[in-house]
Amino acid sequence: MLEDLFKLVKTRFNDSDSKIETDIKTKIPENIMFKCPRCRHVVFEEEYMKNNRVCLACNYHGRLSAKERLELTIDKNSFIEYDSEMISKNPICFPNYDKKQQELREQTDLKDAVITGEAYIRKIKAIIAIMDSRYMMASMGSVVGEKLTRAFERATEQRLPIIVFTASGGARMQEGIVSLMQMAKTSGAIAKHNEAGLLYITVLTDPTTGGVTASFASLGDIIIAEPKILVGFAGRRVIEGTIKQRLPDDFQLAEFMLEKGFIDMIVERKRMRSKVSHLLKLHGYTAVEN
Amino acid sequence: MFNKVLIANRGEIAVRIIRACRELGIKTVAVYSTADKNALHAQIADEAICIGPAQSKDSYLNVKSIISACEITGAEAIHPGFGFLSENANFARTCEKCGITFIGPSPDSIDMLGDKAKAKETMEKAGVPVIKGSKGVITSIEDATILAEEIGYPVLIKASAGGGGRGIRMVNNASELESQIIAAKQEAKNFFSDDAVYMEKFIIKPRHIEVQIMADKFGNVLHLGERDCSMQRRNQKVLEESPSPIMTEKLRKKMGEAAVKAAKACNYYNVGTIEFLVDSSNNFYFMEMNTRIQVEHPVTELVTGIDLVKSQIKIADNQKLEYKQSEIKLKGHAIECRINAECPQKGFRPCPGKIQALHIPGGPGVRVDSAAYQGYVIPPNYDSMIAKLIVYANSRQEAIMKMKWALSEFIVDGIDTNIEFQLDLVKNSSFEKGEYDIAFIQNNYK
Repeated sequence: MLEDLFKLVKTRFNDSDSKIETDIKTKIPENIMFKCPRCRHVVFEEEYMKNNRVCLACNYHGRLSAKERLELTIDKNSFIEYDSEMISKNPICFPNYDKKQQELREQTDLKDAVITGEAYIRKIKAIIAIMDSRYMMASMGSVVGEKLTRAFERATEQRLPIIVFTASGGARMQEGIVSLMQMAKTSGAIAKHNEAGLLYITVLTDPTTGGVTASFASLGDIIIAEPKILVGFAGRRVIEGTIKQRLPDDFQLAEFMLEKGFIDMIVERKRMRSKVSHLLKLHGYTAVEN
Repeated sequence: MFNKVLIANRGEIAVRIIRACRELGIKTVAVYSTADKNALHAQIADEAICIGPAQSKDSYLNVKSIISACEITGAEAIHPGFGFLSENANFARTCEKCGITFIGPSPDSIDMLGDKAKAKETMEKAGVPVIKGSKGVITSIEDATILAEEIGYPVLIKASAGGGGRGIRMVNNASELESQIIAAKQEAKNFFSDDAVYMEKFIIKPRHIEVQIMADKFGNVLHLGERDCSMQRRNQKVLEESPSPIMTEKLRKKMGEAAVKAAKACNYYNVGTIEFLVDSSNNFYFMEMNTRIQVEHPVTELVTGIDLVKSQIKIADNQKLEYKQSEIKLKGHAIECRINAECPQKGFRPCPGKIQALHIPGGPGVRVDSAAYQGYVIPPNYDSMIAKLIVYANSRQEAIMKMKWALSEFIVDGIDTNIEFQLDLVKNSSFEKGEYDIAFIQNNYK
């Protein structure tokens, strides 16, 4: 009974015609909380970060920067970067493309959306490529395509396995047809690496979509994915709009893709390094003693 | 100290006195009418004695029953509270005769101050400023006409035995004088069984400011600052605050000294209140002295830190005052709102009935003196005040905010109350600025 009456309290106090002040003056820094895009849980950013950007509630594996990924994956100080200065032109004179890239370079300390190089993983030498979604959602333009192609060519040349951590929104529209061509170019380089009998592991991370899924991400000998990440070609809404059907809730999640046979295994981030090194070992790549 | 005190009252003040006794380690006897069988004061006292039927004259005004209750319980003293027998000199005298301590002033003081005309005369002699008016009661229309011309219209005709705003008539010019005197006499007779009336000058836009005093039986008299009770409806106080928003240190000193003078003039002891009217030029005039604890005493308690009810008992127990005038400092600001079971929309008609649900506000600086509880049935026989909500804060502004919230949070379901009306008052910008006089409610509300 009293419960209903308590509603009265605020209307009494605030004059009935006065509206609640909506001008929010307190500014909570944006990086205090993290809201999981999968389960919508809100956790403190600090805890989320401590857990290597894995949601503590649903195990969604969030997005890492390339540098963070590198640190989690390879042996300390073993990375030698390739083509670190490579930057793209503006081939179709897309408005503001140069400016946007300039800003992103300053913000992210990256030259483009992928870093490539050689490194040791538990003392096994491999070539590694890591995409960084902070840079234009890791879309694939000429630099991404070229750096990956060169990485595959070096791997083939040096007879090294290659591990690519994918993350991408797809082809980079700012480079038009040039970016589309990267799908064929990377696929060609992968084919040669494959023909040489060398191991290619892809690790799909959140989100791997569009032209990247349609090319090198799906060409690995072994395709691993992190839990709860998004993997797909076209977006959910586009598909639903086209086929006029509601898609299952877990559509395009890693677990769904595993069930449908598109990927081989789901590996948690904390086990990724040991899983990858184990796979390398199984395929005959051996550790070198320093 | 007394072992046992009988409380000859009911409602929140009876509860307030029982609580004070508890703190002093005194046993308590409550008296109640048949209508108050379930009243809080009757439940929480050590003993409770039924003293008669619902009608006040048969119970709470029934001296014989109350003295008998004292006798059978062995109570050594009677606290009369306010209203009922609190300002009845005969009752105080009867107590004296029976060897029971009356917790209040002497019967002679009550007598002298209870007669408004006599009181005024005494004050004038003692040098306390009084409102110009008749020397004593009006004996003839002729004399009244001459006097009214002398002091100037408008004038007020007041019942000598009056109180609570009853028996007061305003006269704007000579042509109204006779009829208003007759009406006042009639009203006075009806209410107080005494048709004596007197005349005084009507002060335009006055504030009602009263000074609390405290005196022991050894001639020590203190004043405890003022209460502004200008917020009145039909001469009934609605909201009180201390200090007064218009008070200056100088005026307080002057009024305080006048109040002490007034108390000394009638050999007063125990607590009492000297009511003054203060005009817009800060001239103040003695109105009357209340020879009892006041409804609004908590605001003074909060700003002075002195428990007036406990002080009353100690004074009655022949103890000396524990303070010196220089030790009395007003700190912060207190406001009291009287919460009544009445319906402001229906001309403030009393609304007795069952309290179905009750939520009492709380938090620091929020005090509620009440005898109400959830499920309590308010009888129709007595006054409609169900609670006093008192807030205390460092500043007046803060106290107003606190009062606004406390009133908002105060929920009484089942009966109508004046809570919303009180909220309206405290939200009023004139009140917030402290700019109001005794006609404020009359002028702003129908």
